[in-house]
Amino acid sequence: MFGLAWYLGIGFVLFCTGITVMIARKSIVAILIGIELILNGAAINFVAYSKFVTQDLDGHIFPLFIIIVAAAEAAVGLAIVIRFYQIRETIHIDEATQLQS
Amino acid sequence: MLKLLSNMSFYVPELVCILTMCTLLFMEAFYGDKSKGRTFVYITAMIGLAIAFAVLACSVGNKPQPIFYNALIIDSFSTVMKMIMVLGTLGVFYLCSQSTDIYEDLKTEFLVMTIGVLIGGMLLSSANNLLTVYLGIETLSILSYVLAAFKKRDGRSSEAGLKYVLYGGITAGVMLYGISHIYGILGTIQFSEIPGLIKALDSQQTLLLLPAFVLFFVGIGYKIACVPFHMWSPDVYEGSPVPVTTFFSIVPKLAGMAVLIRVTLVFFNHDGVLQTAWVGLMQVLAALTMFVGNITAINQKSVKRMLAFSSIAHAGFMMCGILVLNATGIRAILFYGATYLFMTLLAFYVTSFIIDKYGTDDHERFTGLISKHPLVAISMSVALFSLAGLPPFSGFIAKFNILSALIESEKYSLALIAVLNSVISLYYYLRLVKTMCVNEADSSEPIEGLGFVNQAVIVGLGIPVILLGVFWEKLMLVADGAKIFIQ
Repeated sequence: MFGLAWYLGIGFVLFCTGITVMIARKSIVAILIGIELILNGAAINFVAYSKFVTQDLDGHIFPLFIIIVAAAEAAVGLAIVIRFYQIRETIHIDEATQLQS
Repeated sequence: MLKLLSNMSFYVPELVCILTMCTLLFMEAFYGDKSKGRTFVYITAMIGLAIAFAVLACSVGNKPQPIFYNALIIDSFSTVMKMIMVLGTLGVFYLCSQSTDIYEDLKTEFLVMTIGVLIGGMLLSSANNLLTVYLGIETLSILSYVLAAFKKRDGRSSEAGLKYVLYGGITAGVMLYGISHIYGILGTIQFSEIPGLIKALDSQQTLLLLPAFVLFFVGIGYKIACVPFHMWSPDVYEGSPVPVTTFFSIVPKLAGMAVLIRVTLVFFNHDGVLQTAWVGLMQVLAALTMFVGNITAINQKSVKRMLAFSSIAHAGFMMCGILVLNATGIRAILFYGATYLFMTLLAFYVTSFIIDKYGTDDHERFTGLISKHPLVAISMSVALFSLAGLPPFSGFIAKFNILSALIESEKYSLALIAVLNSVISLYYYLRLVKTMCVNEADSSEPIEGLGFVNQAVIVGLGIPVILLGVFWEKLMLVADGAKIFIQ
């Protein structure tokens, strides 16, 4: 019923949503969520290709790694955001302008 | 199972690094007397890396060996690349033990995380499938984010970390999306199978593969800071503590370069539309990277930021060596990497001591360095001349190799652009040399950090910069023997 194109479509929509979130939103936490959306879009692609095209397990292993690494990255990212908030008392991306000359 | 265990014998350098990392973590728990414990920790870390370097040096020239079910490949190219990275990390460790830019109650965190990044770099330089590439890049990145935000109470440092995380996360996501489509089109993630499959693609699939590869390249391009993914680089370099900046300009950059070489050779060694398109794109990117790096460096007041832009320009130069797609280019890049290591370390060492003394690194702070510390000023000048590519220093031979590789494959316009960029870069390097050597110092008080030992180390780093420029055949032979292995 649902072919490869459906899954790739969902992956593409997630990817585009993630990119849009990162461009449009100014909150750092929202940007981190956008990154997660992109990663999930890629993971859906992997599983879809693995089911419909290659029929091997590589495409299943890859998303598992993506999930683990995304968790680690989110942990580090949030820790840095908290530190940034404690110093600057804002999580607005436009406030991060100390390093421009 | 037995085969996996026997594969471990090819993985000794990485295992040594991991062991050093664990030892340091344990030492952290028993950290006793402050200053004594600190020296002890640094000595342990350096011994660990020295062992890893020795093991690597012994295994240069061995037969290429795929290990862990083809996930990694141990060939001479990756071994030499790892040797350069281990040397760079050793240099950074020494700098960190001297620098006061990192907060005082530092224990082993810096060392543990730096070795972690180094392991990521090693993974990248011998990656043999797309999953390993992804894991290597993430190992490299996630720890780098922490390193950039290392000065906990410093707003600039945490801002640097924040920018690094955001750019890194976005590019890693885009890269993964590209990898997923490459997997879909080719049906495999193994590098050993890809060249054969690419030959068999029909024209429609080829058209699909190129955009997927460009997305994949975003992740690597971000690591080597090539235009247009370089925006994070000056900010992160400026905000991070100096030892971290030094580290960033060597290890992740060379690791990214290593993986870019391998990936380019895997995907584009076969003549056709794909290769033409990719080489064309790389030419534009390399030229832009050099121009943007050099031209922006001219206006920088902070020396650290200037060195950051100059390292972008150097990445562009190394990219020129990749797009010729032959052994001459790879040899030239390895040579470039080895010489770049010493020049960069030397320049950052001197900058670090200046920052520790004055708290800033404006050009004016270097005024009259030659009357205060003549040896240091001369070594720094040697490093800057070499970075600019003047004979008889090693930077000249490195650039000459790249240019000869470009001319050999008839890419005259790019060679011209590269020479032009060398001239541009000469301006801002020489300006710093002039500040150091010609201008009069406003005060003659010496810089405390530059004691006898540190001066000796700085001069010691200057020696290979000169020697490699005169007696370059030995290193060339090593670089020439470092063949990359692709089935």
